[in-house]
Amino acid sequence: MSVTGLKFEESRRGLMERLFEAPAIGKMSPAAKFVVYGFLLFWTIFVLFPIYWVVITAFKSAQVVNEGPYYIPFVDFSPTLDGWRAQFATDPFCDLAAVGRQLGLYVYNSVAFILSPFVAIAPMEPQICKVFLAYTNSFVISIGSTTLCMIIGSMAAYALARIQYKPKFGNIFMFVLLALGAIVATNYAGLHWAASGAIGLALFFLLARAFGKHFDAQLGNGDILFWIISQRILPPIVVIFPIYMMFQAVGLIDTHLALILVYAVANLPIVVWLMHDFFASLPIELEESAQLDGATRFGIFWDIVLPLTRPGLAAITLLTLILNWNEYILAVFLSLSKAQTMPIMVAAKNAGERGILWWEMCAIIVVMIIPVIIMAIFLQRFIAKGVLLGAVKG
Amino acid sequence: MTLINPKVPVTFDKIQKSFGAVRVLEELNLAVEPGEFLVLLGASGSGKTTALRILSGLETATSGSVMIGDREVTHVLPKYRDISMVFQSYALYPHKTVAENIGYPLKVRGVAKADAEVQIKDAAAQVQLGDLLHRYPRELSGGQRQRVALARAIVRRPSVFLMDEPLSNLDAKLRGHMRAELKHMQNTLGTTTIYVTHDQIEAMTLARRVAILEKGILQQLATPAEIYNNPANLFVAQFIGSPPMNVVHGQLDGAVFHSNGAKVDVPVSGKVAKAILGVRPEDCTVVSPAKGNVAAEIYTVELIGDHTLVTVKSGSDMVTVKAPKDFNGKTGEKIGVLLTKDRLFVFDAATGERVR
Repeated sequence: MSVTGLKFEESRRGLMERLFEAPAIGKMSPAAKFVVYGFLLFWTIFVLFPIYWVVITAFKSAQVVNEGPYYIPFVDFSPTLDGWRAQFATDPFCDLAAVGRQLGLYVYNSVAFILSPFVAIAPMEPQICKVFLAYTNSFVISIGSTTLCMIIGSMAAYALARIQYKPKFGNIFMFVLLALGAIVATNYAGLHWAASGAIGLALFFLLARAFGKHFDAQLGNGDILFWIISQRILPPIVVIFPIYMMFQAVGLIDTHLALILVYAVANLPIVVWLMHDFFASLPIELEESAQLDGATRFGIFWDIVLPLTRPGLAAITLLTLILNWNEYILAVFLSLSKAQTMPIMVAAKNAGERGILWWEMCAIIVVMIIPVIIMAIFLQRFIAKGVLLGAVKG
Repeated sequence: MTLINPKVPVTFDKIQKSFGAVRVLEELNLAVEPGEFLVLLGASGSGKTTALRILSGLETATSGSVMIGDREVTHVLPKYRDISMVFQSYALYPHKTVAENIGYPLKVRGVAKADAEVQIKDAAAQVQLGDLLHRYPRELSGGQRQRVALARAIVRRPSVFLMDEPLSNLDAKLRGHMRAELKHMQNTLGTTTIYVTHDQIEAMTLARRVAILEKGILQQLATPAEIYNNPANLFVAQFIGSPPMNVVHGQLDGAVFHSNGAKVDVPVSGKVAKAILGVRPEDCTVVSPAKGNVAAEIYTVELIGDHTLVTVKSGSDMVTVKAPKDFNGKTGEKIGVLLTKDRLFVFDAATGERVR
């Protein structure tokens, strides 16, 4: 075999090589470019079309919707504001003043709720049109639950990333048994719940101190993390009945607090799981250095760790906000009228006597997706990379 | 501005450390004198960093106690130990400017802003960072980052400095420069400094005393000169010196070392069946075959610059000889090697201990 047969020669590049050979590693060949961009273009249209459809439907009249698909406003059909008028112009109190009043009502009713064990203050009744009520509710509930969830979740994730927990299996088992005992004592022996709870806890601490060191089997942080994420495996519908009954017993049905708490708990696993990775990837020397410099653990968390995980925090906050904003199933069960959120408003347009009011539904959907887009643009600034640059190494 | 720094001693008393079943430190006893620059030298896994971290409080000892000054700090939180540490990775806070980085220890102590500013400027000036105070770590070069870490360590005038391989991320030229600055700075401040490194040059040049650790055991604690000229055992002898000490296996019989038929007079006497002769490259000379103690042939010749390294082969043993820079010899040439008698070390091959 001649040696020349082993060499590549550029002058002999055929059409196939020209099409399929990438000019450099990290670049695409012409054929690959065509395929990739072609597919991306198709996918973009595929994804954006429903949004386009919602927006134009919001400006269609009942007749236009029923007559069949019209695609282009001003050409196929002439846009109307029917869908919008039905929402915003027929009800009274559909103005900014009503929204302001409603926000004041939240504060007033919250104070009334907190003071309810001491003074009876009658809660205010909302005076606002249905869409604006649902809109303000959605804002208050999703922002409230996201804030709560991020605070608890990120602190829990940090603790799990940095502190080695070794709970004894036996202690956990003991705790569950004593909790069951306390429940039985409260319900069947007529003991006051505070008393049985206190006795159960006291017994637990005494027994854990006495026998804890004899237990060998113990769990680690990995087990705790998995336990936390496993809470998300069950579909929410499974737990909704116990939650409903619990909230009914304490009078929280159709309140904002109920939804804020349930949403926060439902999203906690996601926040803990995702934030844990961000915290664990921080170089630990930074925290050790801060510790030697004299910072407290909370100081380190606030001053060093949180600023460095800002991209993660922003991304997960956005994710949680959107999940809360769009949540439907839990809201259906836990809110009746006063705490109704936007997704329920949308779904309600499906249940009228006149069939599905597509044009009204789409008007609400347009209003509903605007804040999500604004939030995404706002938080996207923080989801930048490279905050850790310069931290370690030369 | 000069401040008289408190000069405090540091004592490790029977410090043991295990990670699970792995023993990292075996009863470390070490007394660091007030104001001393002590270098903990060892290969990776020797326990030197663990010892430093136990002193800093980032790690707790399995048993034993640590004293800083006359205070026992074994179970004291790091921030109450009055120490500062420079990490190998510098551990600068990337979201804070140079000034904020240097001032962080002051900030968490609640030092007033005006006072802090003066001290930050003072510390920055000491490491020649004065005009970079408003930059972020990502805008600095490796050497500048190193200086920020140093400034952050000196700004609050701790009673002990801890340094964990602070120069190992710098390139060779900068490392030499920073080494000199570090030594000068420690000299000026007079603060007790404990410096961990695996680099023998750093240890020899910086330290007043060097503590050599291996497998969690302190091998020798002495001045650099003492360690070089009078190594306690084979490990120390081979660890220190570049190129390393030559070793030849053989037997010690009386005051004569036998190896492959060659006989060498040594300054010690005894009877060791398996002995090791150690000789530094600069204590050997290449001579004509008739004049040397050992007959050999040249294996390779390397010109370093100010000297030439000649590796010669005698039987199965290789010996490196430090020769003048104008040395002229060819591979395979028969030569003799002359050993300086009173610069020879004999070790027991079984224990590694020096035969004295």
